[in-house]
Amino acid sequence: MPYGSLRDFLVKAEEEGQLLRIKEEVRPEPDIRAAACAAAKIPGGPVLLFEKIQGYRDKQVVMNVHGSWENHALTLDLPKKTTVKEQFHELAKRWDRYPLPAKRVTDAPVKEVILDKDFSLFRELPLFRVNPQDGGFYLSKACTIARDPENPENQNVGIYRIQVKDHDRLGIQLSAQHDLAAYLRKAEERDIPLRVAVSVTNDPIVSFVASSPLKYDEDEYAMIGALRGEPVEVISSERGNLDVPAGAELIIEGEILTRQRSVEGPFTEYTGSYSTSMLQVEIKVDLITRRRDPIIFENLYTGRPWGEIDYLMALNTSLTICKQMKADFPEVDAVNAMYTHGYCTIISSKMRFGGFAKTLGCKLLSTPHGITYPKLIIVVDEDVDPFDLEQVIWAMTVRFRPERDIAIIPNAPASTLDPAHLVRGLATKIIIDATKPVFPDIPLSDAGLVDLPEETAYWMDEIKKRMEELK
Amino acid sequence: MICPRCDDSRADKIFEAPEDGSWELYRCPRCYFVWRNTEEEEVTNPDLYDPRFKLNEEKIAAMDPKPPIPPIRKENRTRHRDGG
Repeated sequence: MPYGSLRDFLVKAEEEGQLLRIKEEVRPEPDIRAAACAAAKIPGGPVLLFEKIQGYRDKQVVMNVHGSWENHALTLDLPKKTTVKEQFHELAKRWDRYPLPAKRVTDAPVKEVILDKDFSLFRELPLFRVNPQDGGFYLSKACTIARDPENPENQNVGIYRIQVKDHDRLGIQLSAQHDLAAYLRKAEERDIPLRVAVSVTNDPIVSFVASSPLKYDEDEYAMIGALRGEPVEVISSERGNLDVPAGAELIIEGEILTRQRSVEGPFTEYTGSYSTSMLQVEIKVDLITRRRDPIIFENLYTGRPWGEIDYLMALNTSLTICKQMKADFPEVDAVNAMYTHGYCTIISSKMRFGGFAKTLGCKLLSTPHGITYPKLIIVVDEDVDPFDLEQVIWAMTVRFRPERDIAIIPNAPASTLDPAHLVRGLATKIIIDATKPVFPDIPLSDAGLVDLPEETAYWMDEIKKRMEELK
Repeated sequence: MICPRCDDSRADKIFEAPEDGSWELYRCPRCYFVWRNTEEEEVTNPDLYDPRFKLNEEKIAAMDPKPPIPPIRKENRTRHRDGG
């Protein structure tokens, strides 16, 4: 059964031995960040539930929900030992059920309490500083919902970093390539307001899809339905006609202050370093709805990779790009965009003809995510598993000819968060063709590939079984 | 109270721990830095704040807007004026 809320997921995680309750009182800083960082560094690390936060009687904090492949499998309602590759292919199958539109409900616990005056975000949420030099307390895993001002049936659900700047004021980072930045541009060109809702503490599949680089007009809720196998429940916002997840713990509603920017950041990003402070967008909050029970605040620790954010953005980014590339090039077998949010992306594919790897590299660079993020693109044949770095490096050592197999695209659009930039927002992309050359290219000499012995798979199972018996 | 990040002297207390007053929050009106008095000294003490992350009026004035603010379309400018 799919989950309806983070609370449902926590029950399952506990049954499966993947939830650790921290019962003693913790300090907002530095205890939560240190424990969350540690949990994601441990293979198979658990979800952490901090039951007592210093200074709050009625709040709890949850961290590391996606922070191991075991947790990740459970969020998808799969057995916790499902391998990464199996999770990828299961998601690829479920993806094809898209669109499975959301189901609208008129009542949900998130509407139990409605606050429209004299509220404080510092009272409603047990906020904390994620890393010491962050410019404030951040909502690093909340989902923001808005509608396209030109085409209101187009609604976006995305995870954008959000700084709590005052009792009723948020800062939000909108990078130009993301959907909400496109909505903002339209609103600012027309000089009209833009309503947003911020959904805090969600069913993990909501965060998973909200951080997927879907196409501009694709419906995140219909993709959530496809991946969970049942429609996700949504409920109307109090103002502004937005659909918000009915299973959320708390919803913040407000309006973007258009045509103005103010100091935001720094914040520790997925690159493992602090972004700089910039003048960014602000939201004036005018309403909060929430559950009546003690509030569970789910947040994300970001630090030096690997951590929860790397798990969260691994398969959703890889799969989305893979599906977008396959739509034009069905030869593509799999895409691994797990490293630094796809800064390094590995594509495995059959080769149509010589030079085709460069075609695939360019195709990647024209997908919504590929426009900016990938800068090191490696293309391998379909007999190489892109999720197995030993195989990828093997392909590079024996199939890649540097004098012919590199393409460099200087000064192309790039992530503004890349610490290696010379000009922010521009980077040089490199495509490495680590495939076997095929006609009309010159075939490799001495390229007779050794097959694995026929009964290797049988013996692998046999050896594993006998090793288990030894224990 | 002095902002540990930009040294603005107008920073002020905005909140305290609801349960037991075990901590206080402060906020700077210039650089919007918010801090808790129980955080590490490197976060709360202006003299110990990492110089790489210190801000001042000049640095703020030199920051890029993200995303850039587009011009208002001509037809909307007219409508805007007409509508007051």
